[in-house]
Amino acid sequence: MFWQIVRKEILESLLSVRFTLAIVFSIVLFAASTFFSVDRYRAQSQEYWRRVNENLTGFRRQSDQLCKLAFYEQNAYRQPKVLALCAGGSEDLLPGHFTFDGFDISLPQIAGQSNFTLPRFSDLDWAFIISLVLSFTAFVFAYDCICGEKETGTLRLILSGATPRVTLLLAKYVGLMLTLAIPLFMGLAVALIILIASGAETAGLVPWARVVGIVLTSFLYLSIFVFLGMFVSARAARPANSMAALLLAWVVLLIVIPSLGRLVSDKFSHAHTPEEFQRAKSEAQKQIDDRFISGAYGPNAGATGSNRDDPSVNPRGRAQGTIEGTEALNRVVDAHHERMLAQAEAGRRFTCISPAVVYRRVCEIIACTGIDRSRSLYRQIKTYQQNLRDFIISEDRSDPDSLHILFDDAPRVAEWTTISHKPPSFEAVPKFLERDLALGESLGLAVWDLGLLALFNLVFFAGAWISFARYDVR
Amino acid sequence: MIWKIAAKEFLLNLMTFKFVVGTILCVVLVAIFVPVLAEDYRQRLQQYDQRVADNEAKLRQVKAYRVLTPTVYRRPQVLSVFSQGMEKRLADSAKIGFGTRPDFDKIPEINAGPAEVNPYLSIFPAFDFLLIFKIVMSALALLVAYDAVAREREQGTLSLSLSYPISRAQVLLGKLLAGLLTLAVPATIAFLVGLLLLLSSPAIALGGSDWARIAMMYVASLLFILAVYNVGLLFSSLTGSSSLALILGLFFWVVSIIVIPDATVYLARRFLPVTSVEAKDEQIAGIEKLFLHEWHQECAKLPSGGAANATLGPFHGGNGDWFILVCNPAEAQYWEKGAAFEVSFNVKYARKFWEVEHDYVESLLRQTRLARAIGRLSPACLYDNTMNALAGTDLADYQSWTQRVRDYRDTVLAYIRNKTDNLRSPLYITQCTQAEQITWAKGDKFAEEATRAAEKHTLPLNLEDLPRLTYGMGIAQGLQRAAADLAVLLLFNLLMFSLSFVAFLRYDVR
Repeated sequence: MFWQIVRKEILESLLSVRFTLAIVFSIVLFAASTFFSVDRYRAQSQEYWRRVNENLTGFRRQSDQLCKLAFYEQNAYRQPKVLALCAGGSEDLLPGHFTFDGFDISLPQIAGQSNFTLPRFSDLDWAFIISLVLSFTAFVFAYDCICGEKETGTLRLILSGATPRVTLLLAKYVGLMLTLAIPLFMGLAVALIILIASGAETAGLVPWARVVGIVLTSFLYLSIFVFLGMFVSARAARPANSMAALLLAWVVLLIVIPSLGRLVSDKFSHAHTPEEFQRAKSEAQKQIDDRFISGAYGPNAGATGSNRDDPSVNPRGRAQGTIEGTEALNRVVDAHHERMLAQAEAGRRFTCISPAVVYRRVCEIIACTGIDRSRSLYRQIKTYQQNLRDFIISEDRSDPDSLHILFDDAPRVAEWTTISHKPPSFEAVPKFLERDLALGESLGLAVWDLGLLALFNLVFFAGAWISFARYDVR
Repeated sequence: MIWKIAAKEFLLNLMTFKFVVGTILCVVLVAIFVPVLAEDYRQRLQQYDQRVADNEAKLRQVKAYRVLTPTVYRRPQVLSVFSQGMEKRLADSAKIGFGTRPDFDKIPEINAGPAEVNPYLSIFPAFDFLLIFKIVMSALALLVAYDAVAREREQGTLSLSLSYPISRAQVLLGKLLAGLLTLAVPATIAFLVGLLLLLSSPAIALGGSDWARIAMMYVASLLFILAVYNVGLLFSSLTGSSSLALILGLFFWVVSIIVIPDATVYLARRFLPVTSVEAKDEQIAGIEKLFLHEWHQECAKLPSGGAANATLGPFHGGNGDWFILVCNPAEAQYWEKGAAFEVSFNVKYARKFWEVEHDYVESLLRQTRLARAIGRLSPACLYDNTMNALAGTDLADYQSWTQRVRDYRDTVLAYIRNKTDNLRSPLYITQCTQAEQITWAKGDKFAEEATRAAEKHTLPLNLEDLPRLTYGMGIAQGLQRAAADLAVLLLFNLLMFSLSFVAFLRYDVR
């Protein structure tokens, strides 16, 4: 009986106008999204590699002396990702250009072409299509699944047989999910054909495994809307009322709640203004200057004479003070960056009461895009800075002419030969390359959000079940 | 008869579940979020007042016209509560300066750029009164309209109505009027609740122009809701079943409210790429090189000098942020001759920098204009544009402000020229008299003693007559900017109603 009901549901849906519309919408949107994404990926990749090579050429030029390597101002850019077509993570709006040397890192900036006069827009990626359009389609399929049958009288007929209500409910759910899977898979198939035909880099199993992960998450997400649709349908007396309630629920869950993130961030979390940030930096610098003046780093630590053996200069004291100063400024920059991220996180945490926000976050984590990636990139650069300094220090040990002190004062380091002037092997010098999280790590990060999606499913299923169990079919 | 039909439909609509839920949702959202938005405005206004006061305090310390570099700020628009537009995204200050090397922040247009304090907040869409109307009210309009014709056919009341001596045009006009009246109820309540809450905030003060613009916003909102209602009416008149009309209407709604506004940006970016920031920066760097080269060449022609005793002025931290306290006659000659050259040189290069920036911003605007043109296919985009224009939070208002700042820059320059005998007076660089300069020049300890003495007796300039920038937006400007989109919205309504009429004329009521 279960499969008979499923079959009936699917066949009924296949013949309806809503199904045709859903197919057309899905195919057109997935095709357009993939076409635009691949096109953009190509242009961005070309630009990205041009910049990376430019940076590397400059870095190579500095390798004629070991001491210069730490002071070369490198540029790191967020690498374009082909999986941005699944979940772009609004990366065009996020800072993705980092300028740093062996000691400092500036606040990330937005790089490349970005037209700030354009209206705000969402990425037209798979996550957008599924979270907005297909969730809506789920409601369109589900709104009359129970109250519609009541109106036509077929519900009484089915229940007059030996079919338990729970079987009917689950069969309807399976039927609706399978019906919904058709436009989803057709859209995805068209998208994948375009992707493969375009020759975009998708080598290896990992990107495909990530795509599969996103598709499975999409099912979990769409299932929430099917359950919610069934729940409301089981509460409403008429399909029109059910649709009205569902439409308003959709508006609240997908438009209103996600839009509140900004207000919540502004209200409950505060990031420093540029003036406050500059003030904090000035204060940190002043404290170090005061320590220099008070002789905390030894006599003559502030002196910059050219001869390191001159008693009027104090290389070790100066190094100690400079390192402390750099570390203090870095702490201010780090704290400011963390505050900005925390402010955005505050808004995102609140908006997690919407399944759409949770779903998009999972997709971004699996596709390695979005705000979490910005945070990871910043951390990777910090780790790279440390590796570069360690490399320089280890290479420097073999030079007897060097004082073996590395600190953030390029002219003094060169003048006093506190670090070797001999050329290192450029091949051995660490180079920065962004590393993606492994699939396992991504899933580990997404596990709470996946749990939340499962919880939404459970809640709405329970709601639909209880409502249907008490539903008056007369 | 039209009124009778309208009254009947209106009363029926008022008693429906969808009307009650839609109205409650709309009003609750307005009631919750208008105070939050008003508080946000209050904070921004407070910040603006603080910055203006700081600037005035700095101006009160200026001791030489050479370092007269006032900063002008853009006052937050009170109606941004209704429609935030681009206000938070564009820079809101510009520094005016002449006597020093032109910096980016001293050329107003260059300030046009993302002004987001925390760029990570860009992931969130803006939330304002406009969004509530654009989404909730339009959905309600569709829910009211979808069964206006089809349901009556299903129930058989349509054939009954038409068996009386009334024309189809009267029936449809009655339904249109009923829809307008029905939707005007939640719209009016939401506007009134919003306004009451807004006025209860102490920071909000609405002037005559603001009230007129709010009235226009109300009219624009009704036009937008009516446009969506007319689309629903069209589907209802085209299809035989109300459920089919609803599904078609909902797909239209998703496309016009969600898909088209995003797609316009994609299409504009695809078909009209902008100049890259890097290319623009390279151009700027090239001009900077030229600037320095020419500057050094011209400086060599001046009398020797440039080592006058200077001290930090109120504007710390950049090139030329100091004023000269004392100098000997030779120095004075150097600075007097140099001043005129310096100003004209900087103005010339400021113009060159501006041309590059202007071309860049223009390329961005061309793309935005294309996006807007494509967006006019959707009533939601038309409504967006209209509301932003009326609230004064659109790009046109920002451009108008930057133009005003550029004019103000010329006004300040004229003021300085007037006060300093066209830059020939030593007052441009120092307040020391020639006699003092000569006296101090005689002593060997020129620098230290003279500086101490000069610091004691040099008073700040009296800048009370310095023209201040005033910028405001009137109803005429708002209407002018909103006119095109408002007209298209009106045309959209007429077109949809005409199509509904044609469809209804051919409608089989059996």
